[in-house]
Amino acid sequence: MIDTSILILGLFLLAFGGFAVYDLATAKRRREVYRVKSTVTAYLMLLPAVLLAFLFVLLPILYSLGYAFTDYYLLKPNDISFVKLENFVEIIEEISEKGMLYNAIKNTLTFVIGVVPLQIGLALLLALFVNRPCFGSKIFKVCFFAPVVISLSVTSFLWLQILAPGEGGLLNSLLGMFGIPPHDWLRDPETAMPCIIVLSAWQGCGYQMLIFLSGLSNIRKDLYEAASLDGASRWHQFWNVTWVGLRSTFVYILITVFIGACRILTQPMLMTGYMSHTVTLSYYMYNSGYTKRLVGESSAVALLMTIFIGGITLIQRRLFREK
Amino acid sequence: MKRLFASITLIMLVFTMLLGMVSCFGGGGNGGDGGGNGGDGGSSSTDSEGNTIVKIMFHVDKSSTEGQAYQKRINAFNTAYKDQKIKAQAIFKARSAGASGYETELMNNQLEGTLADIITFDAPNTAAYANSELLYDITDLISEEEQNKFFSLNMYEGKLYGLPIQESSAGFFYNKKIFRDAGIDVSAYTAENPWTFEEFKAVCARLKSHGVTAVDMRIDATKDETAPYLLYPFIYAAGGSFVSADGLTAGGYYNSAATAKGFQFIKDLISAEYTSYAIGATDFFTGKVGMYLSSGWTIPDLDNKYRENFASRDDWGLLPYPKDVVAASATGSWSYAITNNHHTDKTAALELLKWMTSPESSEAITNATGMIPARKDVVKNYEAGSPEYTLLKQLEISGKERPVTVAYPTFSTTFNQVIFGLGKGNVSDLLNSAKNTLQDAIDEVKDR
Repeated sequence: MIDTSILILGLFLLAFGGFAVYDLATAKRRREVYRVKSTVTAYLMLLPAVLLAFLFVLLPILYSLGYAFTDYYLLKPNDISFVKLENFVEIIEEISEKGMLYNAIKNTLTFVIGVVPLQIGLALLLALFVNRPCFGSKIFKVCFFAPVVISLSVTSFLWLQILAPGEGGLLNSLLGMFGIPPHDWLRDPETAMPCIIVLSAWQGCGYQMLIFLSGLSNIRKDLYEAASLDGASRWHQFWNVTWVGLRSTFVYILITVFIGACRILTQPMLMTGYMSHTVTLSYYMYNSGYTKRLVGESSAVALLMTIFIGGITLIQRRLFREK
Repeated sequence: MKRLFASITLIMLVFTMLLGMVSCFGGGGNGGDGGGNGGDGGSSSTDSEGNTIVKIMFHVDKSSTEGQAYQKRINAFNTAYKDQKIKAQAIFKARSAGASGYETELMNNQLEGTLADIITFDAPNTAAYANSELLYDITDLISEEEQNKFFSLNMYEGKLYGLPIQESSAGFFYNKKIFRDAGIDVSAYTAENPWTFEEFKAVCARLKSHGVTAVDMRIDATKDETAPYLLYPFIYAAGGSFVSADGLTAGGYYNSAATAKGFQFIKDLISAEYTSYAIGATDFFTGKVGMYLSSGWTIPDLDNKYRENFASRDDWGLLPYPKDVVAASATGSWSYAITNNHHTDKTAALELLKWMTSPESSEAITNATGMIPARKDVVKNYEAGSPEYTLLKQLEISGKERPVTVAYPTFSTTFNQVIFGLGKGNVSDLLNSAKNTLQDAIDEVKDR
């Protein structure tokens, strides 16, 4: 495996070198501003990043792609056979029988549909709030961003205390003050996923808030003045100036939040365990690959998930393309 | 020209991808032919001084109390075997990502041909590891007399694959003050004479009527191995089981009437509000709950922490598992095994295995961990009636290992799902679903 990896790496470097040489050779002909030294320097500076991306992104994807068509069992890494589309047939069977994979797909879609608008909406609201010059806006920025720098494991444990069942849970004791009986939030299939959605949106929206803030700072102030002189209301100013100015930022945030949401793993793993009402696709993959040790099956799910996420991302880009 | 270059780049990328895929099918590693590591063939590695090197991999951190105890025994081995020119090397890989993280490390080592000669592993993995030929068959290398000295052995299909490092058992820790106030006398219930399911329920009813939550059954601990480890004895006690003797059939076992009876007992405790999923992690220690199901590792906590409620051992005690058809209690911990790595000569590894499982090593390691020794001949003079005595006697009399199956991780997952669903679900439906999932998993891996 190591030998093969080195061979693949060699080929990749050869392709990269070939591209650099081709670029140098044709630059002169293309009548571009041509300096050998600076071009070589540029490629050399690019090389470490390309190398790392290859080793830690592309190579694992290649192996995963290969394993999807094998019967790779974690306990027998030296005994792998090509099984054609067997793993994919099993996947289809499990979905049609409404097994755990069916639940994983359903829960992941629920999570994505819930968290993407909530997280982006929250981030936009917070960005608009802290963007206005007011007393303590910097403190608010820090407060809103703070959950982002805390690890997901820590925030999950924190929310476990908030959502703890019985009267000891923070949320239940708060609701108890209003006479509402305690509820087992994470065991109830009706409330478990919404709780995970809220916690995830709370944890992640601070980061998107910062990106929206940078987008807001790029919108010229005189556009608002002009709109105001034309008698535009606050809503019209937002819709015709702010939103238009944030469009490309929004597309970037939409795609990244969508991809992140599709990969949700830590929260259900730490908060409920491997249960049918909260299992997600990534958790299913983890369980197949590491707990059941069926790497082949896990890789097949990963491949389908990559195709799905890639497809939706392309559709998103097309839908929101600048005209 | 641009199109030509794009085509060449694409071809190279496709070729690279194909190579990646092909490498996945082609047996993957360099250890498959037994060559593996540095071409030292079938014999053990030797150092420059001619010592035979035996590598042993532990699942704990070197700086931990347990890790230090292992290292001391390794150092003692090296001194004792200096003349025989055998030298042990300890590798410590703490379970940073749980047992699966340690297992991934093992698999990586196997793939790279660097698998240690001896490994430590969690006992329920015996079947899967043995079935995958990761472990070396030591049936004929350990005498029957020696095997009989252990409380449990790592057996699979009648063959011996490992020896335990130490043992564990669990029971019901109880708050003596609460019991006294409620007028409950449990002094008659010992490991030799355990209480019955009905007596257990009667005690729970009296505790409830006294105004306290009767028992923390740990039914909320379904995210890891805690609930399976602590609760599986109830099913055996009710006469149930999970898989056939060969570990390959779940139907008729996991969903049998006797198994359902065991789970129903737990469900009855939930329905009667003797226990619940909402009991806080420290509720027993702060005097809100009468009993707490846990393993021996809770003893140091009760001795040293929570002095407000448990100032001395007069304030708490330990009760055995209740019995129904038979008595059954939790057992199992980590074990040692010789691996099927590229070293075909296992003589030196066997010497080290015998050393690490000797009475001296067993005593030294359990002194460091506070667990029960794996060997019956390591006598610890526990006071009769003490918690440690109860655990040891229970282990001797009713200790029963978790189901031996190649798909143990899936068993653990399904067990957790059944316990999770007991509150609202129907026992029979839950067990049928669990049986199907486990059977599918067994079928998927049994021939691998």
